[in-house]
Amino acid sequence: MTGPVDPDERASDRRTPDERESAPDETGTRPDGGHAGATVEASTTPVTAANAAAVRGSVRRVLTVAVTEYRLAVRSRWALALTGLFVVFGAMILTFSGSALGPDGAGRVVASLTSLAAYLVPLAALALGYDAVVGREDEGWLAVTFSLPVRRSEVVVGTYLGRLAVLAGATVLGFGFSGVLIVREFGIGAWSAFLGFLLGAVAVGSAFLAVALLLSTVVREKTHALGAALLVWVWFVLIHDLLALGLVAAFELPDIALTASVLSNPVSAFRVLVLSGLGAAAGGGFTALLVDSGLSTASITFALIAWCLVPVAVAARFVRRRRL
Amino acid sequence: MRIDATDVHKTYGDVTALDGLSLSIPSGSTFGVLGTNGAGKSTLFRLLVGHDRPDAGTVAVGGTDVTDDGRRIRELVGYLPEHVGFPDGLTGREVLGFHSRVRGLPRDGRVADAIDRVGLAPEEADRRVSGYSNGMCRRLGLASVLLPDPDVLVLDEPTAGLDPRGVDEFHAIIEEVTSSSDATVVFCSHVLPEVERLCDRAAVLHEGRVHAAGPIDALAADAADDDTGAANRADDRHRGGLRAAFRAAVTDASADEPSEVAP
Repeated sequence: MTGPVDPDERASDRRTPDERESAPDETGTRPDGGHAGATVEASTTPVTAANAAAVRGSVRRVLTVAVTEYRLAVRSRWALALTGLFVVFGAMILTFSGSALGPDGAGRVVASLTSLAAYLVPLAALALGYDAVVGREDEGWLAVTFSLPVRRSEVVVGTYLGRLAVLAGATVLGFGFSGVLIVREFGIGAWSAFLGFLLGAVAVGSAFLAVALLLSTVVREKTHALGAALLVWVWFVLIHDLLALGLVAAFELPDIALTASVLSNPVSAFRVLVLSGLGAAAGGGFTALLVDSGLSTASITFALIAWCLVPVAVAARFVRRRRL
Repeated sequence: MRIDATDVHKTYGDVTALDGLSLSIPSGSTFGVLGTNGAGKSTLFRLLVGHDRPDAGTVAVGGTDVTDDGRRIRELVGYLPEHVGFPDGLTGREVLGFHSRVRGLPRDGRVADAIDRVGLAPEEADRRVSGYSNGMCRRLGLASVLLPDPDVLVLDEPTAGLDPRGVDEFHAIIEEVTSSSDATVVFCSHVLPEVERLCDRAAVLHEGRVHAAGPIDALAADAADDDTGAANRADDRHRGGLRAAFRAAVTDASADEPSEVAP
């Protein structure tokens, strides 16, 4: 049986995307408001011009969806709630570890913030993203949006970018408050350590938002998406490292296993990325073991970027077969 | 713009939604699709806008197969789903702005025109959708599909859930649209009088096939016959009128082969 599919993305579509984008209808009007005559002229210009028009159209549609998602998240007070959450928890960490004076003081505070963010940011990202697709379907908006001349993958990417803007903004503003206090307490020299933490927090949030988007695309019920998101959080934040530690210790696995453990968990990657820059302040335990895994900053950064891109790409693929 | 469905089959698991459906809708007509729940109306409409694709057969809008270029089809077709919904956090005007930007329409005041056309007051259009009644949501949905002046309007049970006054007002809007444009309007309904009022042609679907199809004039002629009250269902089917075919489809699950109403 043939499944539902977004027909404009089928392999059998013989026309290129740019041809579809700029094709005139019977009235001679193109979707971008231009006219058939302009298309005839365009056909004589280099292919790159047509490609550029197609890209512009695609970018316009993605941004339109993203701006709408951002606006909705702000109006539903998600942005405010997340910012407040990060401010409050960051301030608590500063309050209880603020007595750590001396050259390592800033590093220890940042290490504490990292431990907090490893729990909090993934949870916030999953909560923000789990209903991105299935929730919009519930309210009837997905059917309306998919009825427009937009690729389903563009809707998915736009949804991700819109919500990512909310999450990144809340992370920067919320933890930025802690950053200001750290700089005030420990001087401007503490800024670089904090900046590394902030970028890492945004990256790990982006990764979990992408995973949430994928879950939202795969499941049919909003409650199932929520349940799956919680399971994902439990696995990556609570279980994964413990299991990895147990396996490494029990079977004396080689370094490659440790490397795989770090790269297969965005939370571990985030911890290693931030704490490896803090040196002695990073502390001990499994985290120290991970930090000593020898992974370069570039490889960890690449892993985190992959954790953002791959789930979104898979979601964009799956959404084409989603039956409304 | 003409619409042609030819020998279309569609199944969902064990359920056969369309079973060799063939239908032609002439350009510029107002076409009603009648049928009971599960007759295949919404499946047909989903195929028309590329939300789904047929297992076999072809569906073409203006000669373009919907499975060849779904986005092109959706540029031509304005589709109002049965369960239309909008995010609570947007105003009506913002919903229309979203449609306009996604479609790449020029900013020439057409949003305000669409709001006016469907009878939404400007202050209502500036309110959040969360405060809208079902009727207002329907009007907003209709405004969104009218925005690009589409060649084809596909409306899936557009008056479902509306009170009698809302239905009447919605009919008036559809009549205004059909009288002021050359758009082909296709909508489905359970309600015969609605189709009689608005359409110049209609079809009755039953178990995924066209049970009867033809001009609405034939329906009127048949309705006169029906007033005698003498005919039984089988006779009705043989006579082929839409009213009779609809009643037969509603009441008889083992309906006969499709029939064609003489123009």
